[in-house]
Order: sequence, then C-alpha cells, then structure tokens
Amino acid sequence: MLNNIFKVIISILLIQINMSNCNAVEPDEILNDPKQELRARKISKNIRCMVCQNQSIDDSNSSIARDFRILIRSKIQEGSEDKEIYKFLVERYGDFVLLKPPLKSNTVALWFLPFIFLVIGILVILNHNKKSN
Amino acid sequence: MKNKFLKLPIILFFIILFIFFYLLIIDRNPAKVPSALLNKNVPIFVTKTLVKNEKFSSSKEFGDQVTLVNFFATWCKPCKDEHAFIMRFSSEKNIKIVGINYKDNPKKTIEWLKKLGNPYSNVALDKNGKIAIDWGVYGIPETFIINSRGIIKYRHVGAITPKIYKKINLIIKEIE
Repeated sequence: MLNNIFKVIISILLIQINMSNCNAVEPDEILNDPKQELRARKISKNIRCMVCQNQSIDDSNSSIARDFRILIRSKIQEGSEDKEIYKFLVERYGDFVLLKPPLKSNTVALWFLPFIFLVIGILVILNHNKKSN
Repeated sequence: MKNKFLKLPIILFFIILFIFFYLLIIDRNPAKVPSALLNKNVPIFVTKTLVKNEKFSSSKEFGDQVTLVNFFATWCKPCKDEHAFIMRFSSEKNIKIVGINYKDNPKKTIEWLKKLGNPYSNVALDKNGKIAIDWGVYGIPETFIINSRGIIKYRHVGAITPKIYKKINLIIKEIE
C-alpha cells in the first residue's frame, strides 16, 4: 500500500518536472549564441502574452507571443540592452505587458496592503492573547 | 478595548467588500488594456502598399488631416463584421481612412475589398506583424483615430459595434 502511494507521488513529481520544462520556443527561433539565447529566455519569462492574460510569451503558443519572442531575439542580436527591450515593449503595450507590476504610485496599494494586513492581523492576535492571559 | 481590536478585521472586511462591489457595478471592462500610445505620435514606419506595390511612408500618410487607421485581415471574422462601419465612415465623414493589412495574402485582400467595398484611401502591408507591435496591437481588428498633428487620440480593440461607431463619431467631431 505504502509502496503504491510512493509510486504515485513519484510519478506526479516527474510530471511536474516535465511540465516546468515545457515552453513554446520553437527550434527555428533559438539563437546560436547560448548566452544571448539565455537572455532572451529570461526576458520572455517576464513578458505577458497579451492575448492569454496570465501566461508569459515563453509559455504561449499564440502567434503574437511568437512575434514577441522573435522581436526580443532580433533586438538582442542588434545589441540592445535588456532594459532597452523592456522599455520598448512597455512604451507600446504599457505596464500590463510586464508579468510583475512595477512599484508605482498606482500600484503602492497592491504591493504594501498585504503587509499592512499582516501587521494588523498580528496586532489583533497579540492583543487578544494579552487580554485572555 | 478588546472588542475594539477584534472589530477591526470585520470592519476592514466590509470595506474591502464594498470596494469590490463598487468595482463590480460601475461601467468598466477589466479585460480592456489601457493604451500606452494615447496622446503620443504615430509610430514611424515604411512598408509597401497593397495595390500598386508602392512605398508606404507613415510620415507622409499621417499628420495632415484627421485619419482613421484600421488593422484588418481577410482571415479575421470580426474584421468582416465591422467592415460595414468602416464603409460608413468613408462615405459619411470627411476623414482619411488608412488600412493596415495584418499578416495576410495581398491577392486575397484585393479580392476581399472588391467584394465588400474599399473604404481605404491607402492600404499598408504588415506582412510579419512588426508594424502591429509598433502600434501596441495585440488583437485585430483594432482602430485608431489620429488628429491632424499626427497624434493618436483614440484606440479601440475589437470589432466596431454600433455603440463604438457612435463614440468614434463623437471623437472625430471633437478633434476636428
């Protein structure tokens, strides 16, 4: 019985490992220079596929994601810095194109409210414990 | 004192509930992405035109009068649906209408326009979708309104509906 459970867990883990390695980059897109390719992959993981909402262009099979990946690679080959590539995309698609929202005046609440709620929660518990003691 | 502190999370909960409810009932579309190109200059690009195989230069095409730019393709069903509205803009309004043919077959496009009518004064070819990326386009059809100084004043993603048709008319009136 235990042995069987162990087998199931191992197979689930193996599937997971496989899943995390799957991506949408096609062979013809890959750059010859492994260093440049690595940079492209890193940027691609941070760029949102505009038509799939919560998928990066590295994971998406959509044609626009492919266009983005090719564009990023051609920019790298032209000698653009990572920052310049992000800037190029943000200028055209807005902050929405970044999977991680940047810290700005309109995202302060998004970034800090969870911590504020955490502090309030801790205070409530501490206060409650103090009273019951 | 004890009760006061315990009430706080409940109060917070209702505040959050209120905010969520408010965002739910106001008229907004959360799927709509705000355009980064609004009030900015038209992207500069050079490509070929559909019919005469001439050079299409953005700096020559935009900036002399109010212009409607429409990204379309023959393979895109909503583009066909909205085509009647583009035709109406060309017959009813004194504006320039430029089409950008996205990842399409020029021959098919010429036939398509013969069949459905050609509202465009000029059609630029975007064979590999690079021009579309320059315009921040992610789902065709997309429509832009550009004022007479070459600045993007409005953008609509998706097919033009009667409601959007009215809205675009108002915007054209406003900037003319």
